[in-house]
Amino acid sequence: MDILMLLIPMSLVLVFLIGAAFWWFVASGQFDDLEGPAHRILTDDDSPP
Amino acid sequence: MAGPPVVDASERTLMRQPSPASALTARSQIAPATSSLPGAQSEGVASHCYHCGEPVPTASRWRLRLDHAERAFCCAGCLGVAQTIRAAGLNAFYTRRTGPAESQARVADGSVEAAAAAELAGLVTHRDDGVCEASLLLEGIHCAACVWLSESWLKQQPGVIDASVNFVTRRARVAWDGRHATLADLLRAVTAIGYVAHPYDPRRREALTRRESRALLTRTALALFAMMQVMMFALPAYISADGIAPEQQALLEWASLVLTLPVVLYCAAPFFRGALRDLRLHRLGMDVPVALGVGSAFAASVWASVTGSGAVYYDSVTMFVALLLLARYAELRARQRAGDAIEAIARDLPATAERLVQYPQSMRADTVSAATLAQGDAIHVPAGAVIAADGVVLEGSSSVEEAVMTGESLPVARRPGNAVLAGSINRDSPLIVRVTAAGAATRLAGIVRLVERAAELRPRVARTADRIAGWFVALLLVVAAAAALVWSRYDPAHALAITFAVLVVSCPCALSLATPAALSLMAGALARRQILPVRADALEALARVTHVVFDKTGTLTKGKFALSRAQPLGAMAEADCLALAAALEQGNAHPIARALRAAALPEKVARNVVAIAGCGVEGVIDGTRYRLGRLEWVEAMLSQPLPAAATAIESEATLVALASSRGWLALFTLGDTLRPGAMHAVAALQGLGLHLAILSGDREPTVQRLARMLGIGEAHGGALPESKLAFIAALQRQGAVVAMVGDGVNDAPSLAQADVSIAFGEAAALTQWTADIVVLGADLGRVAVAIAEARRGFAVIRQNLWWALAYNAIAIPLAAAGHLTPLAAALGMSLSSLLVVGNALRLGRPRSDERSGTAARVTALPASA
Repeated sequence: MDILMLLIPMSLVLVFLIGAAFWWFVASGQFDDLEGPAHRILTDDDSPP
Repeated sequence: MAGPPVVDASERTLMRQPSPASALTARSQIAPATSSLPGAQSEGVASHCYHCGEPVPTASRWRLRLDHAERAFCCAGCLGVAQTIRAAGLNAFYTRRTGPAESQARVADGSVEAAAAAELAGLVTHRDDGVCEASLLLEGIHCAACVWLSESWLKQQPGVIDASVNFVTRRARVAWDGRHATLADLLRAVTAIGYVAHPYDPRRREALTRRESRALLTRTALALFAMMQVMMFALPAYISADGIAPEQQALLEWASLVLTLPVVLYCAAPFFRGALRDLRLHRLGMDVPVALGVGSAFAASVWASVTGSGAVYYDSVTMFVALLLLARYAELRARQRAGDAIEAIARDLPATAERLVQYPQSMRADTVSAATLAQGDAIHVPAGAVIAADGVVLEGSSSVEEAVMTGESLPVARRPGNAVLAGSINRDSPLIVRVTAAGAATRLAGIVRLVERAAELRPRVARTADRIAGWFVALLLVVAAAAALVWSRYDPAHALAITFAVLVVSCPCALSLATPAALSLMAGALARRQILPVRADALEALARVTHVVFDKTGTLTKGKFALSRAQPLGAMAEADCLALAAALEQGNAHPIARALRAAALPEKVARNVVAIAGCGVEGVIDGTRYRLGRLEWVEAMLSQPLPAAATAIESEATLVALASSRGWLALFTLGDTLRPGAMHAVAALQGLGLHLAILSGDREPTVQRLARMLGIGEAHGGALPESKLAFIAALQRQGAVVAMVGDGVNDAPSLAQADVSIAFGEAAALTQWTADIVVLGADLGRVAVAIAEARRGFAVIRQNLWWALAYNAIAIPLAAAGHLTPLAAALGMSLSSLLVVGNALRLGRPRSDERSGTAARVTALPASA
C-alpha cells in the first residue's frame, strides 16, 4: 500500500490545480450568465452581411 | 449601544487587524527584509497602515497622533483620510470597524466631473424648495462601522439635510440644500473619508452584484469540491472493519487537513466576517454559531492531527461549509433575480436619442446622450426603437408598445398630438416627438424611484425574524455551554464532539435567511406583473386582507360616459334621434357629447349651435330648433311637462333629453361602462374568500346599480370622507383587515385608515400616490393576483418557521444528549437550511399564467435591424 504515499499527494496537487482552474473560469465570467448563451444560439444571425 | 472605552478598544483593533491573509504576506515580506537589512526591522515593515492595514514599507513620513498613540500611514491619502476623520470627531470608526479600510493610494478625485455627469443624467432630483436629492453608491463599505462613519460624516457636511446609508445595497440617499452645497462637494466629502461615491447608476450596481455572485460561486464550488475529496479520504476510516494502519491514517488525515484549510480560510470567510460584524454590534446573528462550530471543530481537528491523538472532523467541517454556502448561493441568486425584475423597469431606457437640432427647418439629427435631452427638444424615434423621453407626437403615426408602463403588451396607436411615454417601444414607423419630460422627470423614472425607496426599507417581518434569531442563537450558545460542562464531567472523551454537534445542528436559517429571501422573491414576482409594493410592510398586510373596499366607482368603471339607453318619447325612431343628437354635438368636447357622437353618425349638419355650460346645446337642423341637454333646461323651451315614462328611470343615471320646438323627442340614459375585466376581477376576489364593498362619493343609485351589476353585496353611495373613514374603522373593529383600492388620489385619512391601499398607476400623477401598493396599467385582476401572491408568500414563510421550530426542537436536544455525531449534525443542519431556502425559492418561479404572458411579450418585440 506504499503507493498511497504517492497517489494521495498527487490527488491533492490535482485538486488544487482544478480548484485554481475553476477560480479562473469564474473570474473570467464564464458563469455569469448560464441562460443567455442557450438563447443566443437560437437567435444567432448566421446570414452573411 | 454602550460606547467601548476608546483607548483599549483601539489597541485591540490594531492587534487584530491583520487578517490571516495579510499576516501571511507580512511574514513573507519580513523574511527578505531581515536578511538584507539586519537591524532595520523595527522601521522596516513592522507596522501596518493604521487606515488601510497595508504594510508601511519604510520609515514612514506619514504619521498622526490618533487614539493616544502615534500611528503610521502608508501614503498621504490614508493620512489625509485619518486627519479628516479625527477632525470630525469620528475616531470611533477605528474602534468599531472590523477590518482595514480601502487603501487611498489608488483613489483619484473625479468629483466634479462625476457630479456634472450625474446632473446631466438626471440622477439628481431638484425639489421646488431648493432641496436636492441623490442616491449614491458607496465603494469600500465593509461593515456597520463604515455605514456609521459615512452617514455621520455626510450629515456633518454644510447644507446636508439628511443622509442614510443602506448596508445591504451599499447605497446612500442624501438630501441637501442646493443653495449651500453641490453634489460635487458631497462626492469630495465622501472621498475625504476614504470611500468612493458614485451617483447611482443601475449598471454599476449590476457590476457589484456580479462580483458578489462570482465570489460566492467560487467559494461554494470550491467548498463542494473539497468536500467530495475529504469525504473520499475519510471513507476508509468509516468502512474498514479492523481499522487501518496508523501511518496511512495519518497520511489521510494530513491530506484532509490540507484540503480543509482553504475551505476554512477562504470559503468560510463570509461566516467568520458576518459573525465578527454581529459581535461588534453586540448582537447575535446566525453566523455566530456557524463560525464558532467551524472554527472550534477545525482547531480541535488540527490539534488532533498534530498531536496524533483524538478524533478529526475535517469531513464534517467541509460538508457543513459547502452545503451552507450552497444555500446562501441559491438565496443570493434568487434575490438578485428578484432585484433584476424590479430594475428591469429602469433598464428599458435607451442611452442615446436622435435630437433634431433645427426642427422644423431641417431634419438633421444629432445623436446625443438621452440624459442631455431637455423639455422642448424635438427627437426622432426610428421604428423599433425605444422612446427616450416623455413627449407629444409632432409628426408621423405609429403603434407604440407601453408594456413597461402599463403591462399591456398590445400596441396602442399614436398620432400627432398624442402623448408617448419614455420606455415604450415604437413599433411601426418613425415618429418625431416633442420632449415634455426627460431624465428623472419621466414617469418611468418616477416609478423606479418609488420602487427603490420601498426596496430600501426593511419590512417588520424581517426585523422581527432577525430579533428572534438573536434570542435563538443566545439560547443555543447557553445550551452548547451547558452540554459542554455536563459532558466534560460525565464523559470527557465525547464532550468536544457533542458540543460541536449542538453548535452545528441548530438551524436559524428559516428566520435569518429564508424569510428575507421569501420577501424579496415575492416583491420580484409581483414586480414582473407590474405590481409594485411601495411600503415595506404592505405585503404582510395584503396577505391578511379579509375585506376589499373599492373607494371610487371610477376604479370599477372606465370613468367615461357611454350611452346605455336611448328611449324615444315621440314618433321619431331611435336611430333618427341619435343621428340628430350626434349632429348637435359635433365639435363639442364635453364627455356627454363624446358619448353621443360615439353612438351614431350625424346625417345632417346643425347650424347656429350654441353650447350653454351646465345645460346643453341648442341648434337648428333643417329649419327646426332643437335642444339637447338637462331635462329642466329642455323643458323650459317647451310648454309640455316631461312624459311620465321618463321620470320612472330618472334616478338611475345621467339623463339627457332631446326635444324639438314642437315636443319631446327622446331621452338618453348615459352611464359609466364597466372596465374590461371588472367582472372577472370581482369574481376572482370573491373566489379568494374576500368580502367586497364599494364606498363612493357618487350618487347612491349609480353606486347601487354598479354593485348589482358586479354582484357586490355592500355598496354605499354619497359617502363623505368622514363616513368612509368611519366605515373602515367599523370593519376593523370587527377584526377585518381592509384593503382599499382606488386611484391613489383620494382622501388621505381613509387611505391611511385602511390596512393596505392599492392604487392604479394610470389614473394619477406619481407625486400624488399615497398608496402602499401601486399597480401599473388598468387591469383590475391584478388586485386578486397581488393578494393571492402575498398569501402564497406568507404561507411559505409560515411553513418554514414551523419546520424550523419542529427541526430545532427535535435536533438540539438529540445533539445535546449525545445521539448525533458532528457529521450527522452538519448534514442535518445543511439539509434543513437547503430545505427552507428551496421552499422560499418556489416564490421566485413564474407561474404558468405569467410565463405565457412573458412569451407573448418576447415575441411581440420587433426584430432589431
